[in-house]
This record gives sequence, structure tokens and C-alpha cells, in this order.
Amino acid sequence: MKKFLASTLAVLSLASTTAMAADYPSKDIQGVIQWGAGGSTDTVMRSVSPLAEKVLGEDIVLTNKTGGVGAIATKYVYSRKADGYTLLMGAENPQMYKVLGLSPIDYSDMIPISILARGTPIFVANNDAPYNNMAELIEYAKANPGKVKSGSTGKGGMTSIVMAMLQSQVKLDFTMIPYDGDGPALTALQGGAVDIMPAVLGAAIEHIRAGRMKVIGLVDVAANDLLPGVTPITDTLPGMKSYLPWGPFFGVFVKKGTPEAAVAKLSEAFHTGAESEDFKALMKKRGFTVMGTSGKEAVDFLESYRSVSSWLVYDAGFAKHSPEKFGIKRPE
Amino acid sequence: MLEALSYFATSWLNPELLALTALGTFLGIYVGAIPGLSVTMAVSILISFTFSWEVNNALCLMVGIYMGGVYGGSRTAILLNIPGAPSAIATALDGYPMAQKGEAGRAIGLSTVMSVIGGFVGIIVLSVAAPTVSEFAIKFQPRDYLMLGLIGILLVGSLSGESLSKGIFAGALGVLIGTVGLDPLTAEERFTFGVVELWNGINPVAVMIGMFGIAEALNQLHHLDKTAIKQKVDKIVPSWKDIKKYLPLSLQSSSIGVVVGSLPGTGGDIAALMAYDQAKRSTKNPEVPFGKGAKEGLIAPEAANNAAVGGAYIPMLTLGIPGDAVTAVFIGALFIHGLNPGPMLLTEQPDMFWFTVGNLTLANIFVLIFGLTGIKLFAKIVEMPKGILIPLIFLLSIVGAYAINNSIADIWWMLGFGVLGYFMKQYGYQVGPVILGVILSRLIDENWRRAIMSEREDMGSLFINLFASPLSIVLFVAICLIFISQTPIWTKWLKPKLSRG
Repeated sequence: MKKFLASTLAVLSLASTTAMAADYPSKDIQGVIQWGAGGSTDTVMRSVSPLAEKVLGEDIVLTNKTGGVGAIATKYVYSRKADGYTLLMGAENPQMYKVLGLSPIDYSDMIPISILARGTPIFVANNDAPYNNMAELIEYAKANPGKVKSGSTGKGGMTSIVMAMLQSQVKLDFTMIPYDGDGPALTALQGGAVDIMPAVLGAAIEHIRAGRMKVIGLVDVAANDLLPGVTPITDTLPGMKSYLPWGPFFGVFVKKGTPEAAVAKLSEAFHTGAESEDFKALMKKRGFTVMGTSGKEAVDFLESYRSVSSWLVYDAGFAKHSPEKFGIKRPE
Repeated sequence: MLEALSYFATSWLNPELLALTALGTFLGIYVGAIPGLSVTMAVSILISFTFSWEVNNALCLMVGIYMGGVYGGSRTAILLNIPGAPSAIATALDGYPMAQKGEAGRAIGLSTVMSVIGGFVGIIVLSVAAPTVSEFAIKFQPRDYLMLGLIGILLVGSLSGESLSKGIFAGALGVLIGTVGLDPLTAEERFTFGVVELWNGINPVAVMIGMFGIAEALNQLHHLDKTAIKQKVDKIVPSWKDIKKYLPLSLQSSSIGVVVGSLPGTGGDIAALMAYDQAKRSTKNPEVPFGKGAKEGLIAPEAANNAAVGGAYIPMLTLGIPGDAVTAVFIGALFIHGLNPGPMLLTEQPDMFWFTVGNLTLANIFVLIFGLTGIKLFAKIVEMPKGILIPLIFLLSIVGAYAINNSIADIWWMLGFGVLGYFMKQYGYQVGPVILGVILSRLIDENWRRAIMSEREDMGSLFINLFASPLSIVLFVAICLIFISQTPIWTKWLKPKLSRG
């Protein structure tokens, strides 16, 4: 009897999931944003969601669940049912959780709905700094060890990884001063509290255009339209080629096990959003590269990001665990 | 000039924009009054909601909510001792005692007028001195923020009531509560005991609602048989004479509000507390002592927190740097609407600056109108029988605590701190210093470490650099003066000498 009940229940619940998948979405979808209101992840998600809503025909209710460099939101979404009604809207951070010992869950435990856009890292400096490009910075830092103050956004953040890339090529002694986010750090740069900082192009572009800070390096393999006259860092440090192109990204994810129909519908909706002229124009102006990838392509991208960053952090000596422990392969 | 005026008047002359600003201000007052519902939250929800709107319409609604919300926090602070937002904490210190004496109506009237005056000071500074103030604001180094935090923590002296040592203990407890969670600089866990839910720390708003609202409600249970004091509802609008009398104080408080509000690292909550402290220091003979319902103690924080609104806009409009959490969301909104919020905004979109100034002015006028209507009704809340009022406070506190982050854990924290606050009060510990500690903990912690990291862990060079910029010197001297003026050296030795001389 018990067995019969159990199997009936199982069949019933299975039937209900398939039924749910077929007419997905049939109710409001919850979107959980990893970062605070007004940040770059927040703005990207809040601008793409209304476009995706149109395709889905249901509302996406957005909430910010901040803290623990995004681990709290990630854990929360992972604790929900894999029914496609709870979306994780995040940035690149979870890919470092495992090696940094922050959380046992990263994007390999989720399905990418869409990797919306990618940012390009650059080095910016205070206008009064006595160096104007990477070669001059390296020379100056070598001659004045400890004198150059660099803003950072904590271990495992974008700045720390870019710094690790640089240190893997040339050993320099910077004084690292942590800030909670690139916004406050860029403010400190303008006020003279820090001298240099690796930042996402999008976060700094308006300040650069206004001449309030200067670009001294472009962490990419090719020149960028938004930064005329700035040579890619690989011209100075050819060894960087093995890591690049690399950059922070924004994406929408669901828990593994979400019905395929729901994943397909969501991917379609967010792609439509990412492909819209409005969104593209918005991203271009802020120096983000629109990607709009999903499926295997997205999984490969995520894996490549994780492997490059994890090993960099590990080699730089501030990882808690070896990437090998999680089966993360060293990039070739 | 004429162009600026026409941009300024955009929202005044267009009936739709006018109505949206009014609606926003009205909603803002209630969002602000409900503890746990924050202006930041309301404005970020509006971003998606107004996505397809014209940018001006969206901004009118949001500016209204911002202005109204900052003011609205004082309502529940005065009536129920639950600050609607951290920037209204200082308001509760003297506003609630006023209400308990039957002067709720007058307290609301006075706080409304002073908020509006503060609001105008903020707007005026924004419109005439924005570039200068923002250049000054970003010059603040970590050591300067550290000293600002220390000036703030010296407020414990003003808030501790009968016993300074109990006040210091309460303040230290607050600082400790503020350190729970992932270390903001290194993401190391502190006092989390491996619980992921604690990574985010203990929400200051939950502590605030508990310690003020619940603790007071529990305290009221002792006086269930006492009949509620009849509220005087005449002379709600403060007399012209009174306004004139308190104008210097409100201008002084507003100036503190603008400056602290314009700093990217501090907002209205710290501004209001500092203004309260300054008022207490500078008011020689208050009619009623501070903490017992002094009008000065109500005026200072209310003028300061609304002045901080204009202040927060200063770095946002001139440099694209948010002055507080709400202006950070505004930057996101402008970005979504296709504008480039940044240092180029002023040159590329000069209309945006004057439009915002005009809109803030309009919202400030609506604060006056909506603030002064319905006071009689609100004052009656305090007259409600305790048997109804106390459960209502509980309900409001629980809903508010949940609303902060949609998390049940925050309700438990809130209730726990409520009970703790109740016992603290029973044993003569004030809860004010605890909240102060929670709010300032992070500011001091982060900036102390940044300051010392900048000097590569060298105390000596940190001390020398205290004299490296005029700003640091002023702040350092201020700390020394505040400190000395509170110690026996001053009262016993220096003061008599000086006054004799």
C-alpha cells in the first residue's frame, strides 16, 4: 500500500512537473540579483528584465540579495526548487567560490540561461601619477617598491585576479588597499587615496571621458574602440596572452535539474532582450561586450573563466584549496 | 540663466510631472514611515516599474519618494519610538518623549517645518556650490573618514544618559554587533560560527527596530493601567517666533547635513546623529533637557537628514559618484534611461541638473503640504488604548523587520534585540549608543584599516599624515576639542581660567 502511494505520488509529481514545464511560465518569476541596488549587475539585470518579460508574458520580480560576494544569493537560488521560477542574476564571482573556500556551489552547479555581456579590464591611474602606460608603471614600481597604492576589491575579486596576472609576468611591490566595490575605489582614486587600480572599462569610462583619471593599460589582446590610442597590455607583456581575453561577466542562471522546456523558454526570452537595440546601445556605451550566449558555448566560457582565474589565484598564493580538488583543469 | 530657469520649472509647469512628484512625495512619506521599508528599496523597485516611461516622469516620481521618505522616517520615530529609517534614530531620542508629554502634534509640526528648511538648505548648496563641494568631498582620505567616525563615536557621551560607563559598554556592544559577518575588506568570516546566513551580518535596521520599538513596547506593558496622555492638537504649525528662534540651530544642523551627506562614504543617518550631538553641545540652556523632549533635539536631526538629500546629489550630479545608497540607484536609473550619469552629465545634459534642482524644490514643498495635513489624526495614535497600541507596534515591527530583506531571520534578530533592549533599559543602559555603535562600526573599522594599510602598517607615519592636509588637521583638532571639553581638564581647570580671562 505504502509503495503504491509512493509511486502514485511520484507519478503525480512527475506529471505535474511536465505539465508545469509545458505551459511555463504560468506565474511570476523571481529574479535574485547578487549585488546591491545601483551596482553594475543590478543595472544590467534591471534593464534586460523588462525586455525578457515581454517574451515570457509573466512578470519577473527582482530582489537584491547581497552579501558574501554573491554567495548568499547563489546559495538561496540553489536551495529553491529547480522549476525555472527562481533565477540567479549574477556576475563572475561564484566561479571563484570553490578555490577560495567561500561556498561549495558555483556556476557549474547551475544552468546558464544567458551570459549577457562581458567587461574589459583596464588599468586606470590618478591624473597626477608620474606614469602614463604599463611600461612606465612597471619601471616606476620597480624603482619605488611599496610606494604605489592600488585599489582592490578583495581577494578573488576582479582586481585581485588582474593583479595576479600582472604579478605572474613581473614581480612588483604594490600597497593594496581594499574597497567594497569598484565604485568606492574609483572615487578614492580621484581623491588621491589610491594611485592605480584595475577596473572594468564600463565602471570607469565616464570618468575617463571627463578627464578625471587616465587609462594606463588595456588588459586585452586587441585595441578597443572606446579607448583610442591605448595599446593592449600584451604589447608590453606578451606573456599575458595565455590568460586573455578574460573579463568579468553578467549572466542569468537556474538551478541544475530545471526542465528543459523552461530553460529553452528563458534562454529565448533573455536572448531577445540581449539582442534588442536598446540593450546593445546601453552596453556599448558602457564598454561592455554583449554576448548573449547559452548552451554549450556558455558552459565552455564559464569553464574557461573558472580555470584561468582559479589557477591564477592558486599560483598567486591566496587560494584556500587547490583547483585540482574540484577537477578544475589548468588552462593550456 | 533663462535656460536654467526653464529647466528648473519643467516639473512645475507640466501637470503630469507635478502630479507625479506629488504622488511620489506622498508615497515616500509612508514608505519612510514604515520601518524596514527603505527609500532605496522603493526607488529600485520603481526602476523596473518605470522602465518604459519617459525619463522625466520616472525621475519625478523617484525624487518625490526620496524627499518624502527621508522626512517620513520621523513620523513613527515620534509617535511610536520606532525610527522609520536609520536617519530618524536621533529624531526618536527627543521626539518620542515629546509625544509622551502630549505634544506629538507639535513635534510633527516642528519636524516638518525643520525638515523643509533643511531640505531647502541642501538644495541651495546643491545649486550654487555643487562643483566646489564635490571636489572637497572626494578629497576625504581613509584617515579623514576614520576621524569622522571617531567624532561620531564620541557621541556616546551625549547618548549614555545617567552613566557614561554604561553608555560606553552599550556603544562597544553596538560596535561588536556591527562586526559580525564577512569582513568587508578581506571577505574573512567574523563571528559567524560557520553559519552562512550570518555572512551578511546583523542588519542594523533589525537592531534598530528591536531596540527602539519592541523594547519600548515591552516597557509600556508596565504602565498598562495608566491612561494615555491627552494630546494637545492646537498650535500644530510652529509659530513664526519659534521658527525664527530656532533658525540658527536649523541652519547649523543643515550645514552638517549637507557636508556629511555629500561625502560618498556617509549618509543621512550619520549626519542626523552628528547634528544632534552638535546641537546638544551648542545649546546652552534648553527649556527641556535633551533626551526628555527638547525641541532642539528634534530640530537638529530633522534639518540635517533632509539637508543630506541635497548633499547626496552633489557628487552624483557633478561627478557621477553616489552620495548615498539612494543616489546610487538614481545613477542606475539614469543609465537605464540612456543618459550617461557621470562627470560629463553637467556638460552633456545641462537640463538634467536644473531639472533635478527644480524637482527637489517642488518635492520639498509637497513635504510641507503633506507633512502638515493629517497631523491631528496621527497624534491620536498615541492616545490609543495601550491594549491596541502595543500589539500594533509589534505588528509593525515584525512586518518592518521582514521587509528589510524578506528574511525570517531578521524578525528573530529584531525580537531578540527587543528583549535585550528591554532589559538594558531596566538596568539603566541606554539603547542609543548601541545603534550608534552598529552604524559607525563599519565606517571606523574599514577606514582605520585602509588608513593604516596606506601607511604600510606604520603608526608613526599615520600620525604625521594627520597634519598632511588642512582637512585632516581640522578633523583632528575637532576630535581633540570635543574630547578635552568633556574631560575634567576642561571643566575644572581650563574653563574657569578662560571665562575669567
